[in-house]
Amino acid sequence: MAILEIKSVSKFFGGLAANSDVSFSVEQGTIMGLIGPNGAGKTTLFNCITGYYPPSRGEVIFDGRRMNGLQPDKVCMLGMVRTWQKVRPLAKLSVIDNVMVGALAHTSSLKHARELAMEQLKVVRLEHREDFLAGGLPIGERKKLEVARALATKPKLLLLDEVMGGLNPAESEEIIQLILDIKAQGLTQMVIEHDMKAIMRISDRIVVLTSGEKLTEGTPQEVVSNQDVIDAYLGESHA
Amino acid sequence: MAVFLQSLISGILIGGVYALIGIGLTLIFGVMRVVNFAHGDIMMVGMYLTYLLFTLLGVDPFVSVLISFPLMFFFGGFLQKVFINRVLNAVAQNQILLTIGLGLIMSNTVMLIFTSDYKILTTSYSSSTIQVGGGVSISTPLLISFLITAAITAVLGWFLLKTDTGQAIRATAQDREAAQLMGINVSRMSVIAFGLGAALAGTAGALISPTYYIFPQVGGTFTLKAFVITVLGGMGSVVGATLGGILIGVTESMSAVYISSGWKDVVVFVLFLLVLLFKPSGLMGKSRT
Amino acid sequence: MTKTILKAVVGLILLAALLVVPRYVESPYALHMMILLFLSVSQGQSWNILGGYAGQYSVGHAAYFGVGAYTTMMLMHSKQVVPWVGVWVGVAIVIVVALVIGSICFRLRGPYFVLASIAVAEIMRLSAINLTTLTNGAEGILATEIPAFKIGERVITDFLTKVPFYYIGLFLALLTIGITYWVQHSKLGYYFQAIREDQDAAHSLGIHITIYKNIGLVISAVLTSLAGAFYGIYVGFVDPPTVLGLDVSVQIMLICIIGGMGTIWGPVLGSLLLVPLSEALRSNMITEGLVKVGLVSADSRVGLFLKENLAHAHVLLYGILVVLVILFMPEGLMGFLKKLAPRRNREAV
Ligand SMILES: Nc1ncnc2c1ncn2[C@@H]1O[C@H](COP(=O)(O)OP(=O)(O)OP(=O)(O)O)[C@@H](O)[C@H]1O
Ligand SMILES: [Mg+2]
Repeated sequence: MAILEIKSVSKFFGGLAANSDVSFSVEQGTIMGLIGPNGAGKTTLFNCITGYYPPSRGEVIFDGRRMNGLQPDKVCMLGMVRTWQKVRPLAKLSVIDNVMVGALAHTSSLKHARELAMEQLKVVRLEHREDFLAGGLPIGERKKLEVARALATKPKLLLLDEVMGGLNPAESEEIIQLILDIKAQGLTQMVIEHDMKAIMRISDRIVVLTSGEKLTEGTPQEVVSNQDVIDAYLGESHA
Repeated sequence: MAVFLQSLISGILIGGVYALIGIGLTLIFGVMRVVNFAHGDIMMVGMYLTYLLFTLLGVDPFVSVLISFPLMFFFGGFLQKVFINRVLNAVAQNQILLTIGLGLIMSNTVMLIFTSDYKILTTSYSSSTIQVGGGVSISTPLLISFLITAAITAVLGWFLLKTDTGQAIRATAQDREAAQLMGINVSRMSVIAFGLGAALAGTAGALISPTYYIFPQVGGTFTLKAFVITVLGGMGSVVGATLGGILIGVTESMSAVYISSGWKDVVVFVLFLLVLLFKPSGLMGKSRT
Repeated sequence: MTKTILKAVVGLILLAALLVVPRYVESPYALHMMILLFLSVSQGQSWNILGGYAGQYSVGHAAYFGVGAYTTMMLMHSKQVVPWVGVWVGVAIVIVVALVIGSICFRLRGPYFVLASIAVAEIMRLSAINLTTLTNGAEGILATEIPAFKIGERVITDFLTKVPFYYIGLFLALLTIGITYWVQHSKLGYYFQAIREDQDAAHSLGIHITIYKNIGLVISAVLTSLAGAFYGIYVGFVDPPTVLGLDVSVQIMLICIIGGMGTIWGPVLGSLLLVPLSEALRSNMITEGLVKVGLVSADSRVGLFLKENLAHAHVLLYGILVVLVILFMPEGLMGFLKKLAPRRNREAV
């Protein structure tokens, strides 16, 4: 069953089509990889899905419901939450407080929220940073904090925007494990990533965007052997 | 009809001076992304400078521009180097507070020196007018100040468009980082921009001093008006600020005539809120998606 | 655990001491100072909720202070409505005003929000000047006597001394501190701070930005209007510049900025510093002190100048303090104190 359906979504900024006529769907419990060169429109697509921009055209259907026009907070309450490519920690709050803000989406009790938040901190292995200020964490831990905070809102679909960007190989490996752990819990994910090896390992299916358009879609094997992808995407980044 | 024409003309004339204040503010905002809440107070300092030059040395207010422009330029440069420069990367709120604090220091220091009495600068032409027929008359000092404003704006336009420094300032305003990469000394451009902004505000102060009360708190309203003007014209746009100034001048004089002079500022502020609400990029600006 | 108990004990002792002050202190001047302190704490704390916690720097809080003060005074003056009834009319009006302002200003961010908040306060001030039939214009409203507070036939207080004002002020200060404490320890406080730190991130975590900003504004505005009403009744006089001027807004923020925004004790610290300082200036204590110490002679030119002018210098002092605080301790006194006592929850190394 598809939990998310993107139907001919386009987004224009003035004359520029950051997304044009993109369609695909994400199956419940799977990981959908989203790749494409810089400026391909990946983040823009996340913004359209999560309510930051209204799509100029097309529809986003999540869990059987049309999402166009809903604000990000509503989108989150319905079960779709995203992380940010450029991390956005709540800098002057402690790590646990950051995650509690996420947990408070479904409870008004601070005590309950704290418990939920602690669970998520354990999931991403940040419990030892509980009382540190979020703004002072090194980048690898800030990325994990993003994930923990998003998970604390109890999403049905988690959208990760380059959570491995700027990390060293050891840190990336930790994140890959984390993503696979989350999948094992049955949570659907959509992952933007530039690291081809990583995306091949974690994705069930991959969508390739170039210049705002969907170039192709398929299993990791299909995508890497697709000549268009090799020309347009790999060709460019290996040039 | 005569009343209408009369208020239109005086609106445009006073609007020219407003434009000068607005251009200064927009220049500072454009180059540094700092909203200068001390702008009206800088203008007030210019008024007192003119007042001093007039009472102590007998310099005509319009001639005094030649002295106050460079003095205010250095004053502005000093403010930038010593204070503003330190908060360029701080959150907008702290920049605003800093400039509010500087404004309070200026207005209250002036008050300690000159007391809060209203001062009037009476020249031989303060209340003289020129009849242009049809029952419409033009205030001589307003007309002179408008002409000086127009001249200054023209020179400023030439400076920004044609000189190397001017182009460097515009490049800095467009993209600070890129300008830095291109080898432009952005911190020097910031000092110059703040200096120019202060000089323009000070000049505006000099120009209105023959027709306006001079008192330490006069800056507050002008700061606010300067904002209204720049927001109307689109923050950072010099042409926009010029048009915005004239629009505000006309709105003010029209509402003074057709509503009442007590409410004219309210009309301006309401207009301001409406613009912020419906067209935050300014009347001249592109609308946001 | 022992630490919490210790804190509670100290708090209770302090509270008890504050409650009995009027029994032992007879000097009206001392009581006056305390009342000003309470007023300042209430003002600062009210602003703190919106500015310090939710990060919405309103530079227009004079609007709520002034509307609270004016409504109560106008009703008492022309309709003989007793102030403790008038206050609630003021509160009702302020809620409406705040929601209107909120719906306009909260669509804007950063400097635009600040500008809009100033513009709204200025509209209020100019309206107070121009609506002469309601507000008596620039002359302001003078209340010569306050009706006694009765329950049935029993007179609870007749407001003839400063004592009732002391207790009302104390109550107001405690109320605002209490509400801030409650905010900080509730979902509301977490959401406010999330919005302050990063509005987009907060939005993505399910926070309805506009609703929460408006909640913060209404709490803050209502408390500010209570402080305004208290001020009006206590001083017995309101006019546009003293309750609606830009200075008032700046002063309200300053209490927090100096003390430390987004902390419970920041506004208290700020008041403890600002109120005595500006009172000392206003009442020429500083000049007298300098003369006493022998630094300047009373009838030298400097002495005379100081005597004449320092009384007006408190706003200058505000300006200097703002500049110093922003440049050298942007986190206020609280932040400064915290730095002196570093704890583990600072930065990861
Ligand atoms: N708010 C905006 N206004 C105008 N143009 C925008 C906006 N956001 C994105 N764009 C443009 O849309 C295009 C796609 O940007 P987007 O950030 O979605 O790319 P991306 O695939 O996420 O790239 P990257 O891998 O670098 O993160 C780019 O050309 C970008 O400049
Ligand atoms: Mg991106």
